[in-house]
Amino acid sequence: MRSLTLRLALLAGLWVAAGLGGAAWFVTGIVTAQIEAALEARLGAVLDSLAAAVEVDAAGQASLARSPAGADFEAPFSGAYWQVTGPDGGVVTSRSLWDQSLPAASRDHAGVLLRQATGPRGEPLLMAERDLLLPDGAAPLHVAVALSRAATMAEVARLQRGLGLVFLLLGVGLVGGVVLQVVVGLAPLRRIRRALAEVRAGEREALAMPAPSEIAPLVTEVDALIRQNRDTVAMARTHLGNLAHALKTPIAVLRNALEASPPAIPVARAEAAALDRLVQHHLARARSAALAAGAAEVAPLALVEEVAQALRRLFRGIAITVQGDARARLRADAQDLTEMLGNLMENACQWAGATVTVTIAAEGDTMRIAVEDDGPGLTPGLAAGDAMARGVRLDEAKPGSGLGLAIVRDLAALAGGSLELAEGAKGGLRALLVLPRRGAGATSGAGR
Amino acid sequence: MRLLVVEDHATLAGQLRAALEEAHFAVDVAPDGEEGHFLGDTEPYDAVVLDLGLPVLDGMTVLRRWRAAGRSMPVLILTARDGWTEKVAGLNAGADDYLAKPFMMAELVARVQALVRRAHGQARADITLGRLVVDTAAARVMLDGAAVRLTALEYRLLAYLAHHAGQVVSKTELTEHLYAQDFDRDSNTLEVVVGRLRKKLGEGMIETLRGQGYRLAAG
Repeated sequence: MRSLTLRLALLAGLWVAAGLGGAAWFVTGIVTAQIEAALEARLGAVLDSLAAAVEVDAAGQASLARSPAGADFEAPFSGAYWQVTGPDGGVVTSRSLWDQSLPAASRDHAGVLLRQATGPRGEPLLMAERDLLLPDGAAPLHVAVALSRAATMAEVARLQRGLGLVFLLLGVGLVGGVVLQVVVGLAPLRRIRRALAEVRAGEREALAMPAPSEIAPLVTEVDALIRQNRDTVAMARTHLGNLAHALKTPIAVLRNALEASPPAIPVARAEAAALDRLVQHHLARARSAALAAGAAEVAPLALVEEVAQALRRLFRGIAITVQGDARARLRADAQDLTEMLGNLMENACQWAGATVTVTIAAEGDTMRIAVEDDGPGLTPGLAAGDAMARGVRLDEAKPGSGLGLAIVRDLAALAGGSLELAEGAKGGLRALLVLPRRGAGATSGAGR
Repeated sequence: MRLLVVEDHATLAGQLRAALEEAHFAVDVAPDGEEGHFLGDTEPYDAVVLDLGLPVLDGMTVLRRWRAAGRSMPVLILTARDGWTEKVAGLNAGADDYLAKPFMMAELVARVQALVRRAHGQARADITLGRLVVDTAAARVMLDGAAVRLTALEYRLLAYLAHHAGQVVSKTELTEHLYAQDFDRDSNTLEVVVGRLRKKLGEGMIETLRGQGYRLAAG
């Protein structure tokens, strides 16, 4: 069920059918009951007048003092009949019955028996009959009156046809109304879709269109997304340009150094190293550029555990302990967070004596991730700020490009956080990464 | 010690082979993931250098298949992808070390040597066995403090025995770990090399167990 229109129309159809069907059933029921009650009332009246007119002679022969009213009872097979059975079994009938009789009823019941029967011509009848004990008679008489149901049945059928037609038209009208409502209601969405297609085709800058209040926020968000995408692409293009230009000088020096005779190997080597650093620097920046786009809810503890598991393979003698709340969440780019954690934790492992401890704590609006080792700590005289400067290496004997802490600091700043270096409890380095829990753009409230 | 290098860049593969052979490793090179996986699955390597971006079958898949099949040789991932996300994924898939391109050849060789040592439970680069010291980092052998001049094959054989000091190493095992795949293997050569080593190191250092193999005394 992909179409909203189809779904709403079907649902409305179901409701309307149930509601109108119920109403039709109810109305037909009431009117039918009234029509039938009228027939029964007339039947009862005739039965009463018949009972009042019946007489029995000494021989037990029944006869009528006067004929019950109504021309119907005189016309043959008119559908209106009466019949009196005397105590002796003799039968007196209305002229309309001609030579026929009404179907015999049982005699052993009290009061008036009302039932349906079939007449001499096969017509449906409603029949009322009763036993009658006259004041001077010893045995009871049986009196029966029958009236044709054909007319009432035809009337009920006509009523049902009429009502059915009216309700059907009403139902179709209601469902049609719902469909019209949906089609008209969803029109702004179709307009937005067309506008989006135009944006994709480059025919228009942004949606920037008036929309009903329910959809207006969607338009605003989509426009913000389009703007952000455009900015990201522009930034990536700028980075690529910067990188290409930055690479040209070292490449020129490298080529010259190699073409000299004899080739200037130390110069070439230094330039190759410079190229390497440039690429690393620009890669790190390009990664951070995707920061805003990739932000999502992440569980820092799970990421730290993953990095710790990987580092345990590299540093088998170091015990890496991870502590903190597994339910703690922050809004960040998982790849950037992994990059920061990897650099900090690898650095700690390289310097640690035996243990590295990572502690995760959510405090108010910030997430604090502390990485602490039991190594020699910061060199006296070297300020914490210098340790983070690009390319500064605290110890040339340890492997690494010297970019690690600088990359972490850059990434943290881009995420709206910070990196602080201090002496740990065990004398080693304590690197504290502080990140806003609601993401980089949360405080500025951009686009709102 | 025999290594497998899975690298599709022919020039880099050649440089890796040259540098590792200079460090006295026997080196097989596979140019794509499928061949690399097959070799690593069927040959007894002491360590593998694995590129991630490979034709036919990517490096991560190759590594996962090896580990799933119970192949436990140390694997060093060598890749241009230097992000921590990739690094963590590689290590957690079963790699033992991770080196990002561009890299210094000396660092790669040192790391491969460290991996091989670690796989044999040795923390230090030099293995001391009584009067004999085998420096696996510099590929040097000292007897009573004096350097012993060995050929590449002699050193390789001695280093393998030193890594397995005190254990009996069969001729088949030695052949498999000393020669690259395309090398003509002749077990008589092995006996000649052992004979030459005995001359240089003195009798009694390398023991012959008839029908079983060789054993280097553990000190």
